[in-house]
Amino acid sequence: MMRDLIPGRFAFGKTNLTLPTILIIGYVILAADSGGTLLSKQALRGILAYLAVPIIIGLAQMVVLAIGQMNLAIGAMGGATCALMATLMADHQIPVALALIIGLTFATLLGVINGILVVITQLNGFIITLGTMTILLGVQYRLVRSFTVDKYSSALQEFGQQNIAGVPYLFIIAIAVAAVLSLYFAKTASGRNLLATGGNAVAARLSGISNVRSIIKAHLISGILVGVASGLSIASLSGINRSIGGDWLLPSFAAPIIGGVLLSGGTVAIFGTVMAAGVVRLVDVARAQYSLDPSWVNFVLGIIVLSTVALSEWRKRRAEENRITVRA
Amino acid sequence: MTSLQSQTPKLRNSRRYLLNRLLLNQRFALGLLIVLLFVGFGIATPAFFNGEFVVFPLLRDTATFTVVGLAQLCALSIGHMNLAVGRMAAVSAMTAGFTYEKFHFGLIPGVIVGLATGAAVGAFAGWLIVKSRVNSFVVTLSLDFALLGLVTLVYISFTDAAAFTTKPAGMDTIRNGSLGDYCIGNLCGPSLIPLLAIPSVVALVIVWWIFSKTKLGRELLATGANLRAAQLSGVPTERRIVTAHMMSGLLAGLGGLMLAMTSGSFSAAVGSEFMLPSFLGPILGGTILAGGSVAVFGTMLGTMLTLLIRQGLSVRGIGLETLNIALGSVLLLALSTERLRTFIAVHRKKGVE
Amino acid sequence: MTEPILTAHNLFKAFPGVRALNGVNLTLLPGTIHALLGENGAGKSTLIKILTGLYQADSGELVLAGRPFDFKSPHEATVAGIGVVHQERNLVPNFSVAENITLQDPPRSFGVVNKRIQRELAQQALDTLGVELDLSDKVTDLSVAQMQLVEIAKALVIESKVLLLDEPTASITEVEAEKLFDVCRRLAAHGTAVIFVSHKLEEVFELCDVVTVLRDGVSVLESAKLSEFTMDQIVDFMVGRQFAHRIVSKRDIDRSGTPALRLSGISTSIGHRDVSFDVYRGEVVGLYGLVGAGRSELARALLGLHPIISGQLELNGKAIRIKHVRDAVHKHGIGYVTENRKDEGLFLDFDVRTNIAVTIWQKIAKRFGRISVVDEDRIASKYVERLSIKVSSTEQLAGQLSGGNQQKVSLARWLAAETRILFIDEPTVGIDVRTKAAFHDLILELADQGLAIVLISSDLPEVVALADRIVVVHGYRTLETIENDKDYPTMSKRIMTRIQSMTKAA
Repeated sequence: MMRDLIPGRFAFGKTNLTLPTILIIGYVILAADSGGTLLSKQALRGILAYLAVPIIIGLAQMVVLAIGQMNLAIGAMGGATCALMATLMADHQIPVALALIIGLTFATLLGVINGILVVITQLNGFIITLGTMTILLGVQYRLVRSFTVDKYSSALQEFGQQNIAGVPYLFIIAIAVAAVLSLYFAKTASGRNLLATGGNAVAARLSGISNVRSIIKAHLISGILVGVASGLSIASLSGINRSIGGDWLLPSFAAPIIGGVLLSGGTVAIFGTVMAAGVVRLVDVARAQYSLDPSWVNFVLGIIVLSTVALSEWRKRRAEENRITVRA
Repeated sequence: MTSLQSQTPKLRNSRRYLLNRLLLNQRFALGLLIVLLFVGFGIATPAFFNGEFVVFPLLRDTATFTVVGLAQLCALSIGHMNLAVGRMAAVSAMTAGFTYEKFHFGLIPGVIVGLATGAAVGAFAGWLIVKSRVNSFVVTLSLDFALLGLVTLVYISFTDAAAFTTKPAGMDTIRNGSLGDYCIGNLCGPSLIPLLAIPSVVALVIVWWIFSKTKLGRELLATGANLRAAQLSGVPTERRIVTAHMMSGLLAGLGGLMLAMTSGSFSAAVGSEFMLPSFLGPILGGTILAGGSVAVFGTMLGTMLTLLIRQGLSVRGIGLETLNIALGSVLLLALSTERLRTFIAVHRKKGVE
Repeated sequence: MTEPILTAHNLFKAFPGVRALNGVNLTLLPGTIHALLGENGAGKSTLIKILTGLYQADSGELVLAGRPFDFKSPHEATVAGIGVVHQERNLVPNFSVAENITLQDPPRSFGVVNKRIQRELAQQALDTLGVELDLSDKVTDLSVAQMQLVEIAKALVIESKVLLLDEPTASITEVEAEKLFDVCRRLAAHGTAVIFVSHKLEEVFELCDVVTVLRDGVSVLESAKLSEFTMDQIVDFMVGRQFAHRIVSKRDIDRSGTPALRLSGISTSIGHRDVSFDVYRGEVVGLYGLVGAGRSELARALLGLHPIISGQLELNGKAIRIKHVRDAVHKHGIGYVTENRKDEGLFLDFDVRTNIAVTIWQKIAKRFGRISVVDEDRIASKYVERLSIKVSSTEQLAGQLSGGNQQKVSLARWLAAETRILFIDEPTVGIDVRTKAAFHDLILELADQGLAIVLISSDLPEVVALADRIVVVHGYRTLETIENDKDYPTMSKRIMTRIQSMTKAA
């Protein structure tokens, strides 16, 4: 009943249909414009392979947004983790599997530290992660200096190139992770508790849910996801240097915001975030196709996010006003 | 501390009353720390006391980054944050550089254009925050990315080397000049103090004056301390939010111009390192993140302390990475103790129901 | 003889400067609907906070289901079996009805929520209450009344032994209230003890079996059978004879000229319809109504916070439009002493001087906006003295003052601004009797000096003592304006009857 009174039900960003539509239309236009080269198996593989990391880091930011915070350190965490894994494999001959596990653990630990700091200082995650980000940039540099570590594992890098039925393994892993996350937030008590904290911390507390635990969980999961993204990165890139992760921040928060995650907290939109990561990637593909400067991506995405943010509040207010008029 | 609150609660019957008051006074503590560190670094590495290569650049950088810190301070005063200080600085430098290169403006007119641009972008951010009712950090972070793209694109379209290289007359003087170049009769100014200190000091005084002596400053702090109460007392809070962000943009622009003059070129890289120092200066200086209380001169001291640490470490040959680790840790430490200090202050309050 | 499910014996609770509970007794039997009554400041909310674990009593015994309790947190209270539906909603917005109902302990195996059992449990609770709701609806899509029912279902699922409802009918329609009563009766039949807190006596008499009345922190009527009393008698218990000391004579108000402020047929964007009254210079007009009547919201609209969509506003005979708070304050001389002085009224971290001077910065600013602290201090000190505010200096932090002094600081701010029309919202909540009386004298003094005062209060004795005319407000409308003859029994009866006639189900 109330739903009928809220206008713009199918407006941009809110429903599941808008983003996939934009994606398909966008891809079709680009494909047509490219004279069909974009439809080749190779091109498609490339697009999907490089979609894996944006999806995961978008999800990493999404989890933190769900409790009303922000993780500024996603890029630095990823960069430091990549640097760690690469140097372990290249300089210390650590086997691939072990290095990956160490990397994942490292990133998870970083997430936990973020969460603990947020809880202790009672300050927002943004300013805390500004601090940890700076520290991690230093760590990353210390690990790789000005070098590019590139001969760490041919096996891993080969894996990064492989695919099944034209779909890269990396992409499949990313989708699988998204699916697991989706189940976590939809079906488990732990995930629901986290969302309860983000939705109404007071109500959650009164029902016995520990908000402290939710905050640490959110940052922990963010850390795990960054770890996964680092693993995917290291498999798909040719070398790791000090600038890895430096361009992760914008896509990480553009994706969930465009994907429909409420900035007030309490919701996740995994499908939306994945689709939005696709849109972000599409903008990048368009840029490459038309040989535009990479800065166009920053500019366009920044504008899109600003608009989404501005519109979301406007629509929320319209809904509020409708509800009040109904009363009188 | 410039604020509308009394200083720390009086500690009665304490034998070390005076000493406690001094130590609790943030500015004094910072000043002491700076002196100690300076002396300490100098003793460890005598090369540190080199006027021309260490002290002069240190003071010049302090001048620039103090202004950057003041930019953030303006946003913090109302309890907001400006994550786009770096890009607002870049935009200002870009427009100034543009006028120098394409229109052959003189030094000062170009500076005015740059400052006006910074102020305009800041005002836009403030307006967007008010209208959309979204968090200042989401809005300014998005703006930061949009501006980054914009600035780079402009540089690429209008220049060959992604930088404006035309230097207006007088820029070299500003960059290298010191007070020692100006003499009255036989008395010359100290040659260690860079000319760039002048705009920085002017900015400090103006900002201090605004927050401690004017209606605008009081209204900004009231908005930060309790938005609702300010609104209900007739303070035009929405206008003040825009004003605070406009001031932030203007000061960010000034910082960008100062940096461009110091480095000698106008490029998209201006301001890329501003984000962390913009917070460190005010926070170390005693400005509260929640709004309502700012420490203007503390910002300069906080900035000086940060740069001193950086300079001291680099003179000892310690690299960039350790510096980052050190500064990040300093920030986290400062943030942790801030909560502690607020907790103590609240705990001492009496008579609250 | 059934064992009581909850007993409170000789409860005491004091705050700095105020004795909130001075020996309160309560006996709650399972399966009964127990009314908890009392005027504002009587100690009701303190008692509720102690029962629900927000506060701890200073002394006295509390026993729940045979075991003594002393809850350190609301969560402990909930787990022990005391459920509460507060005045504000406590639901997770984007979760479904079913999920909110089972939020405390969702059915799960190996961490995965069993959605089927979740729905069953939720449905069971709703069935017991006789409520029909779509379990998959998001609670943000529900009406306030429906959200309340979800919260009650929540309490049922965790098998609360006691359910406390705090002013539940404040924001719902009469029809919805009937449904709520039905649910309460079913709860009682189920064995739960219900504590029903409300100002609406008509409802209380319709629904409740037992009553406890608090007055000045004491339980003047303890767990008595409601059917043995008339409404008048209950009102007497609530109000008592203490105001007899405060017989204030009628004041002579000159209403020959134009009123200082007149509202004619005002409707606002937040739901006010056809609001009309006026106030003259030197007069105190009381806006009396129950919680949720829309009085504070009206003051805010008049101040410029919500748009006025129709009707006429006249200031000294001249029609005006107020678009911004700053116009109301600086141009038209309208002031508003807020209800929650700590959240919205004062800057607790600022000194008294700043708290008072905030409204006059505009006036004392010199060239370039410069403000002299000496000027600020002069004005602030003047009003500190005039209102006898107890401070060590104007530099003392507002947060350190007692409630009464804080309230005076709030007031001083408007006097400094030379306000001509002052709205005062619930000024003496949480303030002890002696300071309250002094504050009342102050308000009358200000009126004598020519201020036009609109007093918003739910404290009927206060309104009758102070107001020259009383405007009865209900459901965002003004019902009528009554001339106050200052005789409490007649006035209170007249006003209560008028309101109760509106709260009867249509």
